[in-house]
Order: sequence, then structure tokens, then C-alpha cells
Amino acid sequence: MAAPPPPSIPPAQTDDILKRPLYAFDIPKELLKSLIVKGSGQDIAPISEPTEDEKLKELLKEPDPTSGMSCTVCGVKSTTVQEQRSHARSDVHRFNMKRKIRKEPPVSEIEFEKMIEALDESLSGSESSSTEDEQSSDPLATLLRKKAVLKAAEEEALENSPRKPRTPIIWMSSPLLPESTYVGVYRALLPDSTDESEVTQVLPTMQTQTTTALPTASDPHIFLCMIGGGHFAAMIVSLIPKVVKRSGIVEREAVVLAHKTFHRYTTRRKQGGSQSANDNSKGTAHSAGSSLRRYNEAALTADIRELLENWREMLDSSSLLFVRATGTSNRKTLFGGDNPVIRSTDKRIRGFPFTTRRATQSELMRCFVEVTRLKVSKIDETAIAAPIVATSSSPAPKAPVVKPKPSKEETLKLQHTTTLNTLLRRSKAPAIITFLNSNKLPFTYYLTPTNHHTPTLLHLAASQSHPTIVLALLTKAPDGNKEPADPTVKNSAGKTPYDLAGDRATREIFRVARQELGEDRFDWESLGVGSPISRKEYDEATERDKSAKDAGEKERREKETARLRSMPDASGGSSGAGKGGKSLAEVLGTNAATNAREEETKGLSEEAKRRLERERRARAAEERMKRLAGK
Amino acid sequence: MAVRAQFENSNEVGVFATLTNSYALVAIGGSENFYSVFEAELADVIPVVHTTIAGTRIIGRLTAGNRNGLLLPTSTTDQELQHLRNSLPEKVKIQRIEERLSALGNVICCNDHVALVHPDIERETEELIADVLGVEVFRQTIAENVLTGSYCALSNQGGIVHPQTSIKDQDELSSLLQVPLVAGSVNRGSAVVGAGMVVNDWMAVTGLDTTATELSVVESVFRLGEGQAPSNVQGALKDSLVESFY
Repeated sequence: MAAPPPPSIPPAQTDDILKRPLYAFDIPKELLKSLIVKGSGQDIAPISEPTEDEKLKELLKEPDPTSGMSCTVCGVKSTTVQEQRSHARSDVHRFNMKRKIRKEPPVSEIEFEKMIEALDESLSGSESSSTEDEQSSDPLATLLRKKAVLKAAEEEALENSPRKPRTPIIWMSSPLLPESTYVGVYRALLPDSTDESEVTQVLPTMQTQTTTALPTASDPHIFLCMIGGGHFAAMIVSLIPKVVKRSGIVEREAVVLAHKTFHRYTTRRKQGGSQSANDNSKGTAHSAGSSLRRYNEAALTADIRELLENWREMLDSSSLLFVRATGTSNRKTLFGGDNPVIRSTDKRIRGFPFTTRRATQSELMRCFVEVTRLKVSKIDETAIAAPIVATSSSPAPKAPVVKPKPSKEETLKLQHTTTLNTLLRRSKAPAIITFLNSNKLPFTYYLTPTNHHTPTLLHLAASQSHPTIVLALLTKAPDGNKEPADPTVKNSAGKTPYDLAGDRATREIFRVARQELGEDRFDWESLGVGSPISRKEYDEATERDKSAKDAGEKERREKETARLRSMPDASGGSSGAGKGGKSLAEVLGTNAATNAREEETKGLSEEAKRRLERERRARAAEERMKRLAGK
Repeated sequence: MAVRAQFENSNEVGVFATLTNSYALVAIGGSENFYSVFEAELADVIPVVHTTIAGTRIIGRLTAGNRNGLLLPTSTTDQELQHLRNSLPEKVKIQRIEERLSALGNVICCNDHVALVHPDIERETEELIADVLGVEVFRQTIAENVLTGSYCALSNQGGIVHPQTSIKDQDELSSLLQVPLVAGSVNRGSAVVGAGMVVNDWMAVTGLDTTATELSVVESVFRLGEGQAPSNVQGALKDSLVESFY
């Protein structure tokens, strides 16, 4: 952009301004003139001006000090003590007292009345306000609160104290720019204590003249440096870019007056942190690596200081110093020493107002470009305002996302499945058959909602090892129109009910079914069902099984009782007899029983637990009856 | 009568005691020295009560009172309240106050007729102060300080305010209070006069560090000298002198 554009730009060309990146120190003149700080139009401070005048006036016509019957807070003069006292108790005095504490000028009684009136209006206007009662009970408090809020907002707009959170970029608009497009400049580029509203005045003074002449050290320049993790990079860049022509396009090129990087091994690998930090916190380590790092740290510091000393002249004439040095040791390296080139209190020092990477020359260059380039952003104000309306209305349509109501049929199916499930769990084969018959349901009953593992009732019965139900489903189909349950149905994994059968008894029952239904009813062989056996054989087999199991159990019990019987003697012998309370065996026994019971009920629902408990009690009662009858 | 005393090596007498025209509250200390200073002067006139407030000894800063009543912060325990009810004269109203600014001694400065209070005190508290203590309540600052109770010592005879109070403010306050005021210090230059001393209409107790000058200012403004008002003393002296001369 060697030649400035013609003085008047037709609106069609306005977009051209943004086609090339804008350089903060060489903004096109037309754009520069037309820049308006974003949001500056809203700044109004009507209250403070007149009151300050009044205060001055009041100060000028100071009341007679000898009377003592004035109010220094409000600047009101009273003639009698009564008057003074009533004033001291008035709301306006209270209000002014609080203003005084906040270092605000006092308001006159008339102004105060107006404020209260305005407050009343706003109160009556906001019917929906939930705090209305509270507000109306003490208008003064409300007024104070409101004023405090106003004041805070005012201060935010006007005050320029460093502790205030400020945005790193100041946005500006211009009539030359397309609608809702803003250009931003980094605050760090501006001189210290530049107010947001003054940007448009400050920016023109910062502009430079581009020349094709060779750059010199006397040109305005800035210094950038980064230090961290043993890496150091520093650069002095002229603010006047070199203009070069590349394939017919005029381009700006940053002119680096001087640059230097140092890289030393100073950080502890894997552990992280610098060697000096580790030494300080944990004492000096004596490893070879540590001494290496210690040496390198010292060398890096010396290198940097020497470099800065060499550049002293250029640094002193730099308009800004961009420095990234986190941590005390890094800062000490830069700002420490006998006669530091840069002082940490230097007003020109800036941080990089964005994240930076490892200190290298290319990173410094990137940072220079980033910080000196004008940011362009499109902010659609109407779009920002719009979502608020949208969100306020959106919850209503969102709410009625209800599941489609299950049809009557489906609810019926669900009920059936639930009932069958319950019956199955209780192993009530006849009940299931009756239920299926009475509801005219097929024996190959598909469960609802669809189950992938056990799609049919037969699958479920087999997988839960209910042989009686399996047999009933396969064989108890009425002679009429009903088909028996189909054992060839496969689940999504391609398993038949027989494949899912949980124990031997259930598998055997399929053989019984094979016997009863006949060979040609189903392709038993492909199902993997063993050779047919009769019901009698099955019963005998299970009986055998059971008796064997019982015998085993009996044996185990006897063994266990014998073991427990022998134990109390041992414990009694060691701990001395005659101790009251239960013997160890009893405790163990009961504990074992309770533990077993607890184990059983674990993970069951409250209802299921209760049912289990009922059953247990019923069994116990039966047992007692049996025993009584036996006697 | 102005006396010097110390509470366990602390000069801030007003922190550990409350003195009014109808009772005195004294913190429970390691020894009875501090207590005996009060007892020696007041025992046969008004009750001197040992107490804690909320289990602490800084009773002077937590309570505020005058001849008519006593205000206590919410943190006061029921036992302490009962103890005080038992110990103080029946006509003294005792009231526990729910106030955010709970160090009542720091935010209320009163004699038997008027009270200067912190500007931010709640309206309910203001009403309670007026009812219980029987005073007119003014929200004021003393030398730009909101803690009126800390920076002002007040009796029915006079008052001492923060040493940096402007003459204008002094005049205004004195007109409000209808008692003479003087800007002064206690305890060898301490500006917290309210916390550094206690005073009623016939006695003042200041810290042991208080200089003779400070003490004389105290005696004169609170009219505690033998012949009451300092001007009277001088007058009486002058009279006798004149009489003897002639």
C-alpha cells in the first residue's frame, strides 16, 4: 500500500479496505478519519456534571463556620437546633451521608425528591417485580442500591483504572466498513493510560510513513522478547515496513533490525521445572544432569544480559517492549543484574495479549504480525439480540416432546408379558398354560418389548432353568387349534431355547419333549437335543441326581457339624470355660446362616425381599408342621 | 474523677468495659485489678457486673448502653443475657439486637439523650436504639469515619471525638448533641477515643498510657474535676485567691 488511495472512496470499494490485512501503524487515511469507537455513542453522564457545579458553588458560599448549625454533609444551613436535628434525621441527609462515604457529591433536597419520584414511577411500571414489597417499604434503600448500580456502570464506562478488567482489543466501526463489521486494535499498542474513547485521537499520531529507503535504527521500532524453559528469543522490529513488489502486488514486509535466539538445556526432563527451582525447594542435587543444567542456566542468563547490553541503545529508543517472561527466575534474568537494560517498572513494557508458543524467532515474528495487524470481525448486533427473544419463547415448544402414547394393543401385550414373567419367576407352569389359553395367546409367545436374548417365552424359561415350564410349553398345548411352542425359533444371536438352557435338568426336559412330541414334529437333531427319554426316566434321573446331591449335602453337613463341635472345646479350653453367651460354634452357625440369607437377598428389590422372606417363613412353618405330624 | 487502668496489659479500656450512669460491665480478666478500679469508684453507687458477651471479653465493643438500657448483639448467649438481667437494675431495659453490624459498641455512641450511629445501620435497629435507650438517633460520621462508637466518647457533660475532626464537624456534632465536644486523643495519641476509654457523668477510665495532658483534657471536657467544670475550678480558685489577696 505504497500510494494512499484516492480521497473519496465510492461505497462499492469499501470492501477493498478489508481485502488486505490492515497494519496498525499504516491505516488508510480515510478509514482512520472515520473510525468510531464501538459503543461510544451510548456514553452519557448527565448526573455528575450539574452536581459538581453545585458543589463548587456551595464551596464558594461556605456557610458561617461559627454557627455550627449547618450540615456539612448536605451543605444545608439551619436556623434553629430543632431544624438542624430534623434535617439530620431526614432521608435526604441519610442519602447524602451514604453518598459522602462513597465519595460522591451530595444532592439537594429537590434533586432527591425527583430521584424518589422517578423511582416511584419505575416501581409502578414494573408490576411483575418480585421484590416490589421490599422496594416500596424502604424507597431510600432502593434508591441507594439503584444509584450504586448506576454509579458502578458509570465508573466502568468512564474510569480507566488498571485494576478494571479491560478487553485486550478495542473495537471500532466506520461508515466506510460494511454493516456490522468492526476493526480492532490491541490495547497493548497504545500508549499507557489511553482511554478507550481516545483511541481515535491516538491512532493518527501513531501512523508512520512508508518509504522505500533502507531501514535504519533511528526508525520507530519495538522490541519483542520471550524467555522460558531455556529458550530465549528477542527481536527488534521497525514499525516502518519495507514495501516490496512481488509478482505485481505491492506487499509490506516487516523489517527486523536485530534478532537473536538462545537455546540452552535448563529444564529438568520429565519432571519439568527449572533446575534452580528444584534446588531451591529440595536442596542441591548432585547428578551430572543437574550440574549441567545449573551451568546452562547461568550461561543463558549471562548471554541474555550481554545481548541486552549490546542492544541497549536500540532498547532505550524502542517505543514498546513486548516481553513474555513468566516466573521469578525468568523475570530476574531479564530485569535483574547491576545495571539492567530494562526495568520491570518500565512504562513501555507490554505482555503479549494472546497465547504464545515456544520462544523462537518465527514465533516472535508471528506475534509481531498478530499484534500490529488490525483485527476485523463481523458482529451482527441484531443476531445477538435475536437469540434472547428466541430462548425466551423456545422452552414452550421444547416441553411437549412426549413419547408417542402406546396403543391399546401394545399396552395389553405389555401387561401379558409382565404377568407371564411373574408366573415364570414363580415356576407356575399350570398357571402359565391357563393364562395363555384363557387369553388365546400362541404358545410361541413373543415377549414385548422385543428382547434380543430371549425373544420367546420358551427362550426365557430355558435360560432361567424352569424345566417344568419348558415341558409345559412344549407338550401341554391343547389338542385343538393350538400349536406347541416352537423350539426352533432363534434369538438374534442365532440361539435356540435349547442352547440357552441353564442346567442339565432343563436340557434333559427337551429330550422328554422329544419323546412326547415325536421325532417328526421338529428337527430335534439339528437343535442338538439328545436322544428321547421318557418322562419316567427323566424323573428317575432327576431323583437320582437329587438324592446324590442330598447325600452329598448331608455328608457335608455332618462334616461341618463335627468340625464345629470340635471347635468350642478348643476355644473353651483356650479362653477358659464358664464364659457366658453363645459358643463360637453357635455364633459361626448363625452368622453363616444370616450371611447366606443376606447373600440371597442381595440386589433384590424391596418387594422381592419381602416375598422371599414370606416364603422362607412359610417353609419354616411347613417344616414345623411336618415335624409335629412325624412325632 | 479520671483514673488510669489497664486490662491485662492492654490500654484499650473501652474494649473491655462498658460504663453508664446506672451500671458498669467489666470483662472477666485473669486478675481482679481492672475490676477493682471500677469497684473502688462505683461499687456503692451502681452495680459493676462481670460478664462475657458471646463468650468473648471484648464486651465494650459488642455492647452499647446508657442509663436507660443496654443493647446486646445476637451472638449473646441466653445465659449471659439472663445473668445480665439478674445483675442490672430493673429499670434498665436489655435488648438483643439482630443487626449485621454486630459490634454495637463500634457503631453506636450515645449518652442518655442522643446517639450517633453508623450510617448503614438498619432502620429496625435505629428504632430499637431509640426505644430501648430513650435517645434521639442520628446517623453521622466522625472525621469521615463511619464507626462512630470507636471514634467518639460521650457523656451527658461532654464528648471527645477523633483528633482529626474538623472544627466545622465538631461544631455541627456539638450542636446536634447539645454538649461541648473536643477533638482529642487518649492512651498517648491513640485516635480511637471510644475504644480507649469509658466515661459516665462522674467518672472516666482511660488507659495507663494516657498522658497528663490527655487526662486533663478528659477531665475538663467531661467535667470530672473536683470542682466540676474546669472553668468553675478556675473561677473558684481565682475567687479564693482573690479573697486571700485582699
